[in-house]
Amino acid sequence: MGKENPKQHQPSLHESTHSLKGTFIAVMLLGIFILVAWFGFYALFLSR
Amino acid sequence: MHLHKYEKIWLIFGMASLVLFLLIIGFAAFWKGTHPQSHIETIDPQNVEAHDAFKPENLGIREVADGKYIVNIVASAFNYDFGKDKEGNAIKTIRVPKGSTVLYQITTKDVVHGFQVAGTNVNMMVEPGHISRYETVMKNTGEFTVVCNEYCGIGHHQMFGTVEVYE
Repeated sequence: MGKENPKQHQPSLHESTHSLKGTFIAVMLLGIFILVAWFGFYALFLSR
Repeated sequence: MHLHKYEKIWLIFGMASLVLFLLIIGFAAFWKGTHPQSHIETIDPQNVEAHDAFKPENLGIREVADGKYIVNIVASAFNYDFGKDKEGNAIKTIRVPKGSTVLYQITTKDVVHGFQVAGTNVNMMVEPGHISRYETVMKNTGEFTVVCNEYCGIGHHQMFGTVEVYE
C-alpha cells in the first residue's frame, strides 16, 4: 500500500502541466494585440 | 526549475517587448527631447501679465524666425485669450502656414484647463502657477478646433478656438 500511493499521485502531477497550447495561443494573441496597438498609436503620433 | 517550452517563449517575448519599449522611451527622452509639457518653471497665476510672454500685447501668434512661430495664450474660465486684432476684437483663430514650427506657450489665471488642438499632437494640461509648452511642426493643412479637455466649470463646453493651417 505504501508503495502504491506515490504512483497514484503521478498522473495528477502530469495532468497539471500537460498542455499549455491554449494558454500559449492566448498569451501570444494578447502580446501581438498590444504590440500592433502600440505601433498603431505611434504611427498616428508621427503622422500628425 | 523546470520551465515549459511555451513558457520560455512567452517570457522571452514579454521581456523583449519591455526592453524594446524602454529603448524607445529612452530614445524619445534623451535624443528627441520629449518631456512633460509642464516644466518646473512657475508663474504667479494672479499676475500672469508680469511674465513677458503673457503681456496682453504679446498674446497670440508671432513669427520669430523664418517658418518659426510662437503662440502665447492665457486660459481662463471659459476662454482662450489669443490676443486682439487691429480693430480691438478678440482673436479666435490662429493661422499658420503648413510646415511651420510652432511653439505653444500657455498658462491659466484660475483653474486647471486643457489645451488640445484636436487632430494634432498638441495636447496639454494647463495648471495655475505653471507654464505649459509644446513645440510641433504643423504638417497637415486644415482647420483644427482647440478644445479644453479638463472640466473647468459650468462653461467648459464653450471654451474653444481654432487653429488654421493653410498651404
